[in-house]
Amino acid sequence: MFKKWDIITIVFLICLSFIPELVFGIAINRHYNGICAEITVDGKPYKTIALSEHRGDEQIDIKTPYGHNTVEIKDTSIKIIDADCKDKICMRSDFISEPGQIIVCLPHKLMIEIKSTDVVSDSLRC
Amino acid sequence: MNKTFRIVLIGILVSQALALYTIESMIPVPFIAPGAKLGLANLITVISLYILESKRDVFLIIILRLLLSTMFGGNLSTLMYGAAGAILSYYAMILVKTIGKDKISVIGVSASGAFFHNLGQLIVGSIIVENIGVMLYLPILSMAGIGTGIFIGLTSNFIVRHISKLRYFDDIDNRHVT
Repeated sequence: MFKKWDIITIVFLICLSFIPELVFGIAINRHYNGICAEITVDGKPYKTIALSEHRGDEQIDIKTPYGHNTVEIKDTSIKIIDADCKDKICMRSDFISEPGQIIVCLPHKLMIEIKSTDVVSDSLRC
Repeated sequence: MNKTFRIVLIGILVSQALALYTIESMIPVPFIAPGAKLGLANLITVISLYILESKRDVFLIIILRLLLSTMFGGNLSTLMYGAAGAILSYYAMILVKTIGKDKISVIGVSASGAFFHNLGQLIVGSIIVENIGVMLYLPILSMAGIGTGIFIGLTSNFIVRHISKLRYFDDIDNRHVT
């Protein structure tokens, strides 16, 4: 039922399916030029921070009608270090720096999303 | 194969493809990879490649199946994805079948059809979201696709073998079937 060339075709196709991985994988996953962190409260933009040129430590207080959060920016990554919400789940997220990563503080309706100016889908554009 | 027989046969094949498409849409996605499907409707494409003399008739079946399945339960985006996948896999299967001749069986033809179906869909997908990164999803999707393609090939093998016993199909070329 199986012939020799069937097996060869199938193996060839499997190899073929890894070509995009080799060609684009390295190019896409690495060099992001413009990275920014977009902070939104209740879905509305609150602040956008340029991350790619950022050096050193910086702390930002975010005061909203829902509560108070402190964000730490360390070089090109960002983390919530303090919050007065009751569950403190947002503080457990580690530093984020890759486009697409998010930190959410649900009780305060706060969201920090990393975006990029490079070739990414529209929802991730700065 | 006279004219009436050809029209009836195409009609039967299209309706079978639609029935399979409807049944398939009732099955919940059986894989971890979203977007992976069994591709039962591809069974009819593979069979018609082997039992019809004219390649244009196979193309007609694919187009009719696409349009009618969109009317039954689809939208414009499923039509776009489906059309790109189906047309690319049609040409790939013809190419493999012509080059392979009797060295390659239905299984290889069907697996390459499944692979190029996925490829076509991902090309359309990356055009829609304007991001070539969608193509990185190809290995996962094509593994699932080639897997189901092999089973579709095995099934078509049985069907074509039995169909070729009918006297209506005396003139079909069944060197590929074992």
